[in-house]
Amino acid sequence: MNAWTSYRLQDFIPFTAEVYFRLLERMGENFWPLHLLTLALGAATLVLALKHRTRIACLLPVPLWAFVAIAFFFQRYAELNWAGGYVGYAFIAQAVLLVLVALTGWGMDNAPRATNPPVAIGIAITLFGLIVMPLMAPLSDGSWYQAEVFGIHADPTAVTTLGLVLIMLRGFALWIAVIIPALWLVVSGLTLQVLNATAAAVLFGVLAIALVGLVWKSIEAKR
Amino acid sequence: MNPLIKHRITRRQSLTLIGATLAAMTLPTASLFANTGGMRQKAFAGTDKKLPLIGMGTWRTFNVGSDPQLLDARTEVVKAFFEHGGGLIDSSPMYGSAPDVMGYALQQLGTPESLFAAEKVWSPAGGSAREQVAELQERWKVKHFDLVQVHNLTDWREHLAALQEMKAEGIIHHVGITTSHGRRHSEIEQIMASEDIDFVQLTYNITHREAENRLLPLAEERGIGVIANRPYDGGSLIKNLKRRNAPLPEWANEECGCTTWADFLLKFIVSHPAITCAIPATTQVEHLRENMRAGHAPMPSPDARQRMAATIESL
Repeated sequence: MNAWTSYRLQDFIPFTAEVYFRLLERMGENFWPLHLLTLALGAATLVLALKHRTRIACLLPVPLWAFVAIAFFFQRYAELNWAGGYVGYAFIAQAVLLVLVALTGWGMDNAPRATNPPVAIGIAITLFGLIVMPLMAPLSDGSWYQAEVFGIHADPTAVTTLGLVLIMLRGFALWIAVIIPALWLVVSGLTLQVLNATAAAVLFGVLAIALVGLVWKSIEAKR
Repeated sequence: MNPLIKHRITRRQSLTLIGATLAAMTLPTASLFANTGGMRQKAFAGTDKKLPLIGMGTWRTFNVGSDPQLLDARTEVVKAFFEHGGGLIDSSPMYGSAPDVMGYALQQLGTPESLFAAEKVWSPAGGSAREQVAELQERWKVKHFDLVQVHNLTDWREHLAALQEMKAEGIIHHVGITTSHGRRHSEIEQIMASEDIDFVQLTYNITHREAENRLLPLAEERGIGVIANRPYDGGSLIKNLKRRNAPLPEWANEECGCTTWADFLLKFIVSHPAITCAIPATTQVEHLRENMRAGHAPMPSPDARQRMAATIESL
């Protein structure tokens, strides 16, 4: 038997569904009511981005990416998966990237219009990450502590940021800014797939829609 | 049930578990482990030492991090394991927090004499074999490991040499090598034939029987103990049988004492003369009890084993 072809996806997920969903729940238990602040920051970022205050809008999610890196990945997820520490560094890198973009103004779309289709896709993804994702667990008979929230949990943080950068950035900077959120959503989607969670399809769906927005915005810019 | 979150422990279950753990802590340690419950044992590695036929694996199931609720739940599984005559528990630095969780459980329950602590060294875990073993001893909170294996043959020459030295110094008791999913069997065979090892761990179950061709006869010939991992093929065997709602054949109960499919699958494995023990993994005490019952007599005869394999093939 060929050693490498014999590996399957589940061979790389070293925990059970019970453990992973308890991890998400513990984040909720430990940090409530910080959720209210992080959601307010997310909403403020969206409003500022649409009001063409792009630099400050780029800065607002920075502490949240750093928080998720430390509180979620370094302190908790890395206990379960040795690769978790590396993902934590990737989240820190995303925070640094957003600071650099804010300071330099690199690739900023300073006049995004909500009627522009890729921007509208960005708004929809942002609202999905801020409003719909936290409601998914409670509306499926889970407790409020199981709600996944932007700035507390990794998935809604990545989804919301994907939408925000689609609104705020353009060109090469936009493609660079989506790499880490998109890669995490792939990893998380595959993890949830192994754990038989329907949320996997949601993440892959968001990624597909975001990709449409990205390509659309890039084509528009070349016209 | 939340379709997004399919596996949760309720508040009531968690309170029950915590209560049961606290109640268990008031009992003398010896009373927890005195009853071996009829578990059969097998001599291993050409010695007169014996191991219970059913051990316990920890891949995925014991990687719960620092979650207090799940730490107590796994402690209950370990407690039930020893109450039912269990011995070998196998873990790895690759299994996330599983070694720490074992340390937590052993600290809560006390370390029973029947524990046969099996660990592994693995190059990506970092550090030399000696450093890894020392760190894992601290995580398990044990004074020594009964068995240390080279995980998936990673850098096996260097690790095995270091482990042999540690065995000679009395730091560890036995050495071994591991593989799974039928990988690298020819290399495993070469090591078994040429190196002085006590155990080999490999995948052997009713649908993965490649080891019967060369590795198991060689293990018998060389007096090497064999630990069978993935006895339920990662859970898929049991899930498929449940999905098909397949009835257990009556003869399996009459001839081999099988009352569940877990019995059926595990008895098939441990009744092979070369197999020392199987290491099913579970998160639930009830499943653990089912697993442990498979170590009781009667065991299937060679004819019955053939019928068992034919039964699974026919489904």
